[in-house]
This record gives sequence, structure tokens and C-alpha cells, in this order.
Amino acid sequence: MIPELTADEQRFRDQVCGLLCEESVRRRVTECRRQLPEGEEPELLDVYRQLGERGWLAVNWPERYGGRDGTYLQKAIVTEELIRHRVPDLANTLTIDIVGFGVLLAGTEAQKQRVLPRLASGETTAAVLFSEPGTGSDLSALQTRAEPDGDGWRLYGRKSYCMKSHISDIGLCAARTTASDVKYHGITLFLVPLQSLSVTVEPTWNLLNERFGEVTLDGVRLTADDVLGSVDDGWNTLNQVLSLERITIDFVAKARLLFDRLAGHAAKTGRLEEPEYAQRILELEARVRAAELLTWRCVRDFDNGTPDDVRSAIAKYYSTELLKELGSEAMEVVGLDAVLHGRDEQAVQEGLFESLYREGPGWTLGSGTSEIMLYLIAGSGLELL
Amino acid sequence: MERLAEFFDEELTPMVRRMAYRPQRVTAATADNQAIRAMVWQALVGPDTMPADGTRLAQQELIAVAEQLGAVLCQGPLLDTLVAAELLQASARSALLPRGASVALAVREDGAANPAEPANMVVDRSEEVVDARRSFVGFAADVDHLLLVGRTPAGVRLALTPRDHPTVSLHRHEDLGRGELYRVRFSGTPVTAWLGDGKHWADLLATARIRQAGYLVGMSQAALDLAVTYAKSRRQFGQPIGRFQWVAFRLSALTATIEAARTLTRDAARDADRGVDPRFVAAQCLATAAKVAREVTTYALQVHGASGLREDNDAQLYFRRAAIEALWWGSPTQLRVEATPLLRARLTDADS
Repeated sequence: MIPELTADEQRFRDQVCGLLCEESVRRRVTECRRQLPEGEEPELLDVYRQLGERGWLAVNWPERYGGRDGTYLQKAIVTEELIRHRVPDLANTLTIDIVGFGVLLAGTEAQKQRVLPRLASGETTAAVLFSEPGTGSDLSALQTRAEPDGDGWRLYGRKSYCMKSHISDIGLCAARTTASDVKYHGITLFLVPLQSLSVTVEPTWNLLNERFGEVTLDGVRLTADDVLGSVDDGWNTLNQVLSLERITIDFVAKARLLFDRLAGHAAKTGRLEEPEYAQRILELEARVRAAELLTWRCVRDFDNGTPDDVRSAIAKYYSTELLKELGSEAMEVVGLDAVLHGRDEQAVQEGLFESLYREGPGWTLGSGTSEIMLYLIAGSGLELL
Repeated sequence: MERLAEFFDEELTPMVRRMAYRPQRVTAATADNQAIRAMVWQALVGPDTMPADGTRLAQQELIAVAEQLGAVLCQGPLLDTLVAAELLQASARSALLPRGASVALAVREDGAANPAEPANMVVDRSEEVVDARRSFVGFAADVDHLLLVGRTPAGVRLALTPRDHPTVSLHRHEDLGRGELYRVRFSGTPVTAWLGDGKHWADLLATARIRQAGYLVGMSQAALDLAVTYAKSRRQFGQPIGRFQWVAFRLSALTATIEAARTLTRDAARDADRGVDPRFVAAQCLATAAKVAREVTTYALQVHGASGLREDNDAQLYFRRAAIEALWWGSPTQLRVEATPLLRARLTDADS
């Protein structure tokens, strides 16, 4: 939880909480946890539309684009409340915090009017098309190319691990427009219509709760209207987008959720009275609170117009490594019952521990790996590299 | 042991890893798992694990088998069957378990329980039938017998029961490993034979824990090998990622921790073979191996990046299984709680 909210911020949190506590929302969320057959993932939930109608989904965006002229802190409150109420939140993060933020940051007025209200309404989602089969952390080595075609381009290549791409209308895609000796030059960001016949999305199953999309771009036609920012100069925009992506409120909110449920379980079952468990739970409590403080500090930095990449990297590294460890600790404290999926009638906490244990390895990979975070801290923070 | 190593060759190993992996969506990799399971079972119940003349195998030999099973993620009733075989050999009743017959152990009522403290069971006054509920019984649907371990007013007792009997009902768990774990209900189930008491169970659990540690060491080594192979081939920033020191050194450090767990486990097996009380070293080697397995399988996924998370990548299978196998005969915390008075006793013995 954020320390020291203003009265307005607290009122906003209460309003969001009120919506998420409504019976229809609770029922649908419970279905997602307990009744969704294996092999299905939550699609675009009605609650997104309900948040969108109120202007809360992208509350930090200007009203003319579907927001409420709010702060990023308010947006962080929405994300935290979604997670606290166990609403699947990935589509929200990808759509609003990454792709939407990119458009807000670098889009033309026409692009903003065309794209942002649709995203803010909760009627559609957007996906990120950065990684490729051979390109992960070293993103500047990407192979997807945009070939000139009259007054525009045709896009060719393969993008990997693009979550929610199978239900999204828009993909934010990084592609090479110019071959260059300077590898950060010549990359352009495009807004790609994913429903185009020249785009194929193959969802692939994985350890996580939601699928990867393998996206094949086979000559999809794009014009200047689809370029986000300047041609050949996408690297800077991309880095700004990635900077915000590293303020991982979603991860830290999951750490809080997991810890609270774990400590509650330990108290209820008597584990908390056993010193060997109490010691580790207390240590985790301090670390979860520290992760929250580190992350919310970055939220305030962002709202004050003073984002700090090193502080973000510290928060992201610390929070996600902790979150992964929490999954393992939950197994230790709860025992084998923690390995049961929410569909199993014997599952504890509706399978929360099983679910977050599986999600753990993705957290230290997505939004910049732990190794990249350490590289940023070592290089920009400590000036060692 | 060499025979097993040859059996689990490069062609069979990927199928073995998935032979008891049952996502609801049946894929080509899982469609024929029953046939593979049957074939592997036939190969396993040979002289390496169950000598025809009924001689008792050394624990050192059995942990070598367990390491191989862990390396290929081979699941099945073998490790439980070995526990039953050990018990029957001790009481000279091996005839109850002809070669090829399989057993699953039914010990816990819920997943929080320490298997050193079995759940209750109710024995009919005639001593002929039992009632009990158990969870996390591995391969209950496949086996011929269940070995029910339960607490009664007369102390812990071990009952061999049939599995395929109308009084035994099974319900498959939905678990992280998507494996063959069952909830089992015994409702007036006939007892084939009463096989032992609490002392027997403590002894059996100690050697079962050493074998489990061997299994986890094998798993850890195989997961590390996958990560090392990937680190040599995956290129980022112009070179294989294994050339980056933070990757190379972490993999090297994990190599050291696996070796440490392996030596502890082998030393515990040697103690058991020498007739030294193995309870303390068994708990300690299993706690160590369990923590190593969690750490290695987690880091193997970090090295693989997003590709390791894909359903078709075996690195994620090791991660799934490690969570379960690390808790199977008690969590590291439970094991250390159990080991504390044993350490105190050892210190007292040393002083005197």
C-alpha cells in the first residue's frame, strides 16, 4: 500500500475498490481463477469497460483521450487495486502503461485521437512487439525490417512472446528501417494493425497464466500515419517507454498480495507461532514493505517529472527477485497444498500460491531482465562499467 | 547402473520427461505416455532395483538409480515400491510383492503435514479393514497395492491394501507438476497384510529421504546441464550469453552446490549401508538437495529467458517438478526441525 495518500487519492482508491467489489465483478474474477479450464486464459473482462466508462482505466491521461487528467500515482492505484482484487491485469499494463504511454509520449495529435480513446475505453487491448526469436535483452539487434513501399513501408519479420497479441487490435512494433553501423540508429516504432491479413498470430502455451503470441509480419502495409515518433529514431522513444515499464507497480502489488495471504495463512494454521517460520515471514514482511517504498518512490519521481533510471532499476530488480523468492517461500510455509491449482478443491487461497509460483520466473525476465537491471545500476549508478 | 544409463538414451529421455506430464490439452508429446510408462516400468523393475533372488541392494546403488531417474525426470511408482520392498525384506515377506508389482505410499491427509508424523487411520476391531483419507499419493491409479501409513491408538501402523477395490476411491489432484498425484479415500478397505510400526516407518523414511535427495541431485544436474548448453548457444550482444561472467560464474557456483549436495547424499547412503543410524544425515542431505533443486531449476529458467517458459521447453518441467519433489518427504524446514534433537544427541554423544 502507498504510504500517506492525500484525501483525494484515498477517495479515488475507495471508489475503484467499490467497483471491483461489486458482485458481478467478483463472480467473473472467481470464474477466472477456479473455473477457467486449463488451456484458456482470461480475455478482455467487462470490468475493463466499466473502468473505462469512468475514465479510470487510463486515469492519468487527458480527458480528451479518455482519461481524467489524473496523476500517474492514481494510475498506479488502479493497477494495485486490480491486483489486490485478483483481476487479471496483464492487458491493462500492456495496453495502458506501455503502448498507450508510448503513443501519449511520442504520437502525433492525430494518432493520439485515433488510438488512445479506444485503449482507455477498455474496449480493446494493445500488444508489445519488441522481442524476436533471436533478440531479447539485446533489442537493438532486431531483425524485423520495414521495406520502403511507395509512400510507406511493408513490414517483414517475426516477433516473439507478444502477450495478448491474439486479442489485440494494435501492436507497438520495433523494426529496422535503415541499416546502420550504429546499431541504435535506424530503428523505427510502428503502430501495427494486428487484425491485418498480413499479420499472423500464433498463441503458444507456456508456464505462465497467459499465452505468448508468435507474430509473423508478412508484408503488412504501413504509412507515415503509423510511425510513432521519428523514422530511424525509435530507440530513444523505446527507451523512454521501457523506463516507465520498469516502474513495476504490478509486480510489487503482487508481492504484497502474496505476502498478505501467506502471512494470513501462517497465522490461521499456527505456523506463525513456530519460530522457524515466524523468522522468515518477518524477514519477508520487511522486504515486501521495502519493495513497495522503492517502487512508489519511483511513481512520485515520475509524477514530479524527475524519473530516475537507476532508482527504477533498483526497484524493479529488488521487487521481482523478492517476488520470485516469495513464491518459493510460500511452498515452504504452506507445504504441498501450495502446489494445487485453483481448480483443485483442496487448493489453498484458490490456488494463489501455485499460480504466482509459476509466474515468478517471468517477472525477472520481463520488462528488462534482472541482469539488465544490475547492468544499469552498475553502469549508470556506480559508474563501474 | 550402466544398463539404466544406456536405456535412458538421448532419444528416450525427452519422452520420459513428459510421460507422466498431463496437461488437459493432450499434445503429441503426451498422447502415448501410457505406453512409454509401461515400457519404462518394465525396464526399471530389473536387477538394478529388484534383484531376482531378493537380496537387499545397497543404498549407494539405489541412490545412483535415483539420480538417473531425477536426471530424466522419470516419474512413477518405483521409489515408493522400493520403500515397500525394503519393508517386506526386513520382515521376510517379499513374496507379497512379486517382481513387477507396484506400490504407492499413502501417508498424508493434507499437504501441510510432515510425513514423519502420519495422519490418522481407523482400524476395524477385527483388524481386517481400515478407513482413512490421504492426499498426494503418487501414481495411485497405476499401482497394484497401496501402503497405508497411519496413526492409530496403538501407534503408527503400516497396512498393505489392494488399490483396485471398490472401497478405494481416487481423485486426481490438479497440481503444478500436472502429474499423477491423487487424493485417496479408504472406506472399509481390506488389509492384505499388517507390515510394521512406527519404528519401521522411521527407518524406511530415512532411506526414502536419501533416495529422494539422490533424485533431486539428478534433477538439479540435468536442469543445470540444460542451462549450460543453452548458455553456450544463445547469443546476445555479439557473444554466447555463457561468456558473460555473471552467467558463467553463477552456473559455476551452482555446479559447486550440486556437487556438495551429491557428496552429502552419497555419504548418507554410505552411513545407511554401514548400519549407522541414518536419520540425521538423511534429513540433512534431503534438506540441502531440496534447496539446491529449487535454486538450480529457477536459475535454469532465468538463463533460458522467455524461451524456457514455453510449454515445449523442458526447462520449465524441471522447475515445476522441483517445487513438488522438494517437499515430498518433508520440507527443508520440517526436516531441520526434525534434525535438531538428533544433532543435540550427536553433540551429547561426542562430549561423552
